[in-house]
Amino acid sequence: MAAPTTLKKVLVVDDEADVCVYLSRVLEENGFRVRSAADGAAALREVEQERPDVITLDLSMPETSGVRFYRDLRERPELREIPVIFVTGITGPGGSKDTERFYNAQRQVPPPDAFIGKPIDPEELVAVVRKLSADRKPAAASA
Amino acid sequence: MAGITPELEALGLSAVEVFAEIPCWVSVQDREYRILAASRKLVSDFGEHRLRKCYAVYKGRSEPCADCVVDHTFADGQEHHSEDVLVDKRGLAHSLLVNTRPLRNAAGEIVAVMKLFADVTAQKELSSRLHDSLLRFHNLFDNAPCFVSVQDRKFRIVASNRHFNESFGDGVGGHCYQVYKKRQDPCPRCPVAETFADGQRHTSEEVVVDNHGRQLHVLVYTAPIRDAAGEIASVMEMSTDVTEIRTLQDRLADLGKLVGGIAHDAKNILEGLRGGVYIVNLGFRDNKQEDIRTGWDMVQRNVTRLSSVILDMLHCARERSPRRLPVSLPQVMQEVAGLFAPRAAEFNIALETRLDGPVEILGEAKDVHALLCNLITNAMEACNSDADDSKSHRVLARVFQDKGDAVIEVEDNGAGMDAATRNALFLGLVSTKGNAGTGLGLVMSQKVATEHGGKIAVRSEPGKGSVFTVRLPVRRPEAISA
Repeated sequence: MAAPTTLKKVLVVDDEADVCVYLSRVLEENGFRVRSAADGAAALREVEQERPDVITLDLSMPETSGVRFYRDLRERPELREIPVIFVTGITGPGGSKDTERFYNAQRQVPPPDAFIGKPIDPEELVAVVRKLSADRKPAAASA
Repeated sequence: MAGITPELEALGLSAVEVFAEIPCWVSVQDREYRILAASRKLVSDFGEHRLRKCYAVYKGRSEPCADCVVDHTFADGQEHHSEDVLVDKRGLAHSLLVNTRPLRNAAGEIVAVMKLFADVTAQKELSSRLHDSLLRFHNLFDNAPCFVSVQDRKFRIVASNRHFNESFGDGVGGHCYQVYKKRQDPCPRCPVAETFADGQRHTSEEVVVDNHGRQLHVLVYTAPIRDAAGEIASVMEMSTDVTEIRTLQDRLADLGKLVGGIAHDAKNILEGLRGGVYIVNLGFRDNKQEDIRTGWDMVQRNVTRLSSVILDMLHCARERSPRRLPVSLPQVMQEVAGLFAPRAAEFNIALETRLDGPVEILGEAKDVHALLCNLITNAMEACNSDADDSKSHRVLARVFQDKGDAVIEVEDNGAGMDAATRNALFLGLVSTKGNAGTGLGLVMSQKVATEHGGKIAVRSEPGKGSVFTVRLPVRRPEAISA
């Protein structure tokens, strides 16, 4: 019987399939265990099923947007501590409706743990994920 | 002499002396127009002309004037009035009111006529200036290149300029809110009411409706008009049509969003390319064919997307009109359906075509080809992005004739769209992301339809799917190809 894994788990949320594959491979190459989701609703199901150590989140997605998912996440006490990195082509306020909505909601929702802009620098991504996951114990599957 | 009182006589004043000293221009003339007597003031200003003909002295004429008040008074014994202009001995012209009165002898016969000249030159000049001012005011008011109205406290229009009348009809007497906005009640916020309340100028931006039912965006400025007592008697409302500016601003904003969308999607495409290269390199490093294949697929997919985006952009930027060559829509549809068949099979989408008879248009075959590719790509994307996995997804592409139009219809039972998404579709503001690209495809499709004299429409319902319908003028048998 295989020993339970102690690899840090990352959830990559992006509706671009190729971006998901790319980020996943970069992170896997650097010792992370990766799952992915194509929209906010799928991401929430993933988080409920198996809590990740870090989430990389695209903001502008069809169906449930990244912003909506992020707000849902932060409103739930059992999930709000999971570090979230916004990985998006738009890294500042006013750039898109999604980010505008997000920044308008700043009073209720704390800012994310980090921003990474596209095009992604793989080394930067790995460094940020590693730093945010460093202090966390490997996540266990949620009840 | 009648009228000379004993008191004057007691002072030693004769009637002749009193007449002579009358402090205005007075003369007495006989039937021959000769000046028998004149007041000293008349002599002083116009010269001594006793026994000379009136018309010769004052008008420089050789014959009596055509319409002479002295003649009239001799004729009917009544007082008469006229207006005249005389030149004094210094050469100054005087506007005069001339009054005549008959002078009778003891037998009651009219033997002479007294003429009194009242100088109204100053009044005439003032009147002329007033007239000029009014004319200038009316010209300014009427020709102002904006809508001008004057309103009372009940928002009734008491005056309006030509530009206003041309666009909204003669609004005088009507209420501003009826004439401008076709409302039955005053507007909730009214700059005219605010000016009546505080005497200050106010501004607002309004949407009004002209005589032709067109909506105009206007910038409104109001100012008080006060009466002599300083009270606000009415308010002037001046509105400038800024519809074109607003339209351009909207287009500019749309363009900004479009460019933002393209940049955003370009970043994703670039990310896909970089990801593909990264995985290919991993494959080479580890000698893993599977990674090389996966990475190379990503590179190819994103190169195709990039090509599509660039071609769409080029097409959207192109200004030339399409050639008018016969194009068989069923033939083009078959070609496009053949191209998409493998991809449809890969995604488990039933791609069906229904081609009802020969349908030809005049146009550019490759443009129509691109339009159909876009519509089918969108339909397949809508199926792929549908969260309902229980559906059997289907795309039906039809070509048929209807009411003289060549009709292309592409129907899917995919994710569908809400009203906001539908409305933004043809502005290039809806990115299908993920696969097809920037949303430029529909902008390009609409451009192709418009360039071919047709139009494109969409019906859609979230969760049920969408139908894109393109209507183009069908090629008539007598049509001549260019």
